[in-house]
Amino acid sequence: MAYSFAAKLISVSKRYSDVTAVKHIDLEVKKGEILGLLGPNGSGKSTLLKMILGLVKPDTGVINVLGVNLEADPFAVKKRVGYVPEGSYIYEFLTGLEFLDFAGDVFQMNLDEKKKRIEEFLKALDLEGREGDLISSYSEGMKQKILIISAIMHKPELLLLDEPLNSLDPKSARIVKDLLRKLASQGVATVMSTHVLEIAEAMCDRIAIMYDGQLLALGTMEDLRQRAKMPNSGLEDIFLELTGTGDVKPIVEELLR
Amino acid sequence: MNWKNILLLISINRKASRVMQRNSFRRYRDSKAVTYSLYGLACLIGISVGWLAGSFYNGITDQAARDSIIQSATYLFISLPTIVLLYGVVFTQMNQFRRIVKVTIQPMYWLPITWQEHTAASVLSNMLGAPLLITVFLSSAILTASIFLGLVFLSIVTVLALLTALVLASATTEIFKTTQIRLAGAITRVTGRAAIWLRLAASIMSMIVFYAVYYSIYNQATPVLLFEAVASGQNVLWFIPYVWPGMALSAFSNSLWTGTILFSLATLAFVLAVFLVATRLNMKFGFYEAPSAKISSGAYVPKVSLFERLGFSPSEVALMKKDLRAITRRHELMFIFVFPISIIVMMFFTTLRYGGSIPAGGSSLLFALITLLPGALTTPFLGSFIMGLEGENVWYLHSSPLSAENIARAKYFFVVIVDLVITLICAMVSGIIFAPSLIFAAVILIEATLLIVSLSAVSLACGFRGADYRGFFPMNRLLKPKWGLLNLVLCAVVALAIVAPVIPYFLSIASTALPIPFPLVISLPDFYVYVALVLSGVVSAFITYVFRKLVRAGAEKFRAEAEGI
Repeated sequence: MAYSFAAKLISVSKRYSDVTAVKHIDLEVKKGEILGLLGPNGSGKSTLLKMILGLVKPDTGVINVLGVNLEADPFAVKKRVGYVPEGSYIYEFLTGLEFLDFAGDVFQMNLDEKKKRIEEFLKALDLEGREGDLISSYSEGMKQKILIISAIMHKPELLLLDEPLNSLDPKSARIVKDLLRKLASQGVATVMSTHVLEIAEAMCDRIAIMYDGQLLALGTMEDLRQRAKMPNSGLEDIFLELTGTGDVKPIVEELLR
Repeated sequence: MNWKNILLLISINRKASRVMQRNSFRRYRDSKAVTYSLYGLACLIGISVGWLAGSFYNGITDQAARDSIIQSATYLFISLPTIVLLYGVVFTQMNQFRRIVKVTIQPMYWLPITWQEHTAASVLSNMLGAPLLITVFLSSAILTASIFLGLVFLSIVTVLALLTALVLASATTEIFKTTQIRLAGAITRVTGRAAIWLRLAASIMSMIVFYAVYYSIYNQATPVLLFEAVASGQNVLWFIPYVWPGMALSAFSNSLWTGTILFSLATLAFVLAVFLVATRLNMKFGFYEAPSAKISSGAYVPKVSLFERLGFSPSEVALMKKDLRAITRRHELMFIFVFPISIIVMMFFTTLRYGGSIPAGGSSLLFALITLLPGALTTPFLGSFIMGLEGENVWYLHSSPLSAENIARAKYFFVVIVDLVITLICAMVSGIIFAPSLIFAAVILIEATLLIVSLSAVSLACGFRGADYRGFFPMNRLLKPKWGLLNLVLCAVVALAIVAPVIPYFLSIASTALPIPFPLVISLPDFYVYVALVLSGVVSAFITYVFRKLVRAGAEKFRAEAEGI
């Protein structure tokens, strides 16, 4: 199916009782780009990701994903998207292998492809030898690896990743980063939220900075530097400047008094 | 020990119940009045019962009867500490089971709180709820009654003994807990996949032992005889420290002051010893780590399952396989298997009363009960819990390309298939034991199938609407209480409607063994049973059709309302 944007959000808002989680956001995610979502805790990043997948219904606005109106056919969208949520809630009574087998069946992969992809990923992410163990005995990092594999193995066209590199060891984190870049070169779009600014700076083609449910800034690193009027600055300084959270000196002094 | 730390830890354990209730977590306020009102209510009921008993005693004029009541009351008082100890162990174990999940079992060992404080808080927290409620009730009842009976001093000492017995029970549970975790971990490591079946077998064995003990008591003793048996049994088993609170009380009631002091001191020493053992075990094994259970080690061979050949889609089969693993591997869901087995065991024990000489109608009735009950009773639970058992993992169903029909079909047929398998196994076992006639066996099997097919739809419809996905702290609730109640009522009505046409046939068979009043038994023509089966089938088909529609609607709603769960 031909589409110009992997995801297009027009004036999307979401309110939870007296808290507005997302306020009138317009956003276009291009095909084959990695878009980083940055923002302080509670700024609306996870809600935005869930809205793109159709897990949270926006109060206002329209969301188009992979050329499909999300409200009209969320089922068609879910087939073509891979999602890693924040926090590793996962069926702990299954083994890693059983969970991946389950995920492959849910996404209706054919048997040979499922076997090939599962074996490849287990090997690449150092899970070989532990795939037959119950997930309840996995470390957080291992659970995160299983979730990442389950999101990628069915070859989605859009990846929605909420803090995907949390708890991963350096080698696995590097593999996942390289994998995302490779997938991007094949046209797979990725929207990922992260608090690790170095990762966003190194990996993302564009960065969206959210604060209090609003999109404060969106663009490449160069665009953000210009917006913040901070040439030659790193993402951390730009982020703190744009979100107005940069003046931490008085807080630290108060704490140490 | 810092008692402030202990009280803080107890307060945390008590607050765990917030998660079980549908509280608003924003601006949450704890109501101490509500929390403690249950204990006040137990106290009030106890006082009322004690007052009634006392008034009854006052109303008796016959001196022999009054003496007999005083004698029985003394037996009751003396036996109570041991009885409290027994139910204390059972209930504190149940409290502990609710918290035996890794999230809550792990003490916050990194805080500046000693293991003695952790253990003391755990021992006292385990007593909260049912164990303490019953003890408060008993204490208020005997204190009030003793005013009328003239046994005030004995009742005061009894209350002290009851509280000591409860602490002893809870401290013993603390030892059980740590040992259980340690042993389960060790067994899991050693046995791998077999650990799952070992756990199931252990659950069944403990249930059989429990029922055997219960049966032997129930079969031989009235309550008064039971109290007398416990009171005299204590004297024989004086060397077992767990009966020492009762022994101290027994000595006190007989004015044997040396014995009273010795057994009281010995009791306190034993409580302290049990507490110290529990603390030592916690210090050694308190850091809980989920054992690494290797379930499979061979090469991965994906294959087309039998169900796919039967017309289910791969995603439906994946859901069914996952649910099968959930109910066989998750400890809190094992009751689904244990329950039908317990029915068979109970029936088996019941037949022992007849000493092997069961009349023909009676054996047919037992075959019918053993075949019908496990499936018919398991279905309402399994059907209503099957959605809630997704727990916090429900996000996966929401984010996956599973249609409402996929979910509804997978869940419905899973419940039907599991219950049919349980029913067939029960039918085979009871068929071998009771050898019913072929036609009777066929009628029962058809009725069992109709019940399962319909009750699955009814309970699943309730399960979709009332599922509770909230997490593992202190345990999954699976189903909202009002939906649980509605489910049971609906299932009872539906089951009765389906079985109603064949009830006259059952009565005509049963009347050959049981003294059933004449108006209930009428002479039936031979073809009646076939007409009844057709009627049952029509009722079942109609109910199944309606509730399958509701199941489908529930699944649609589930898909549409991803948020807010």
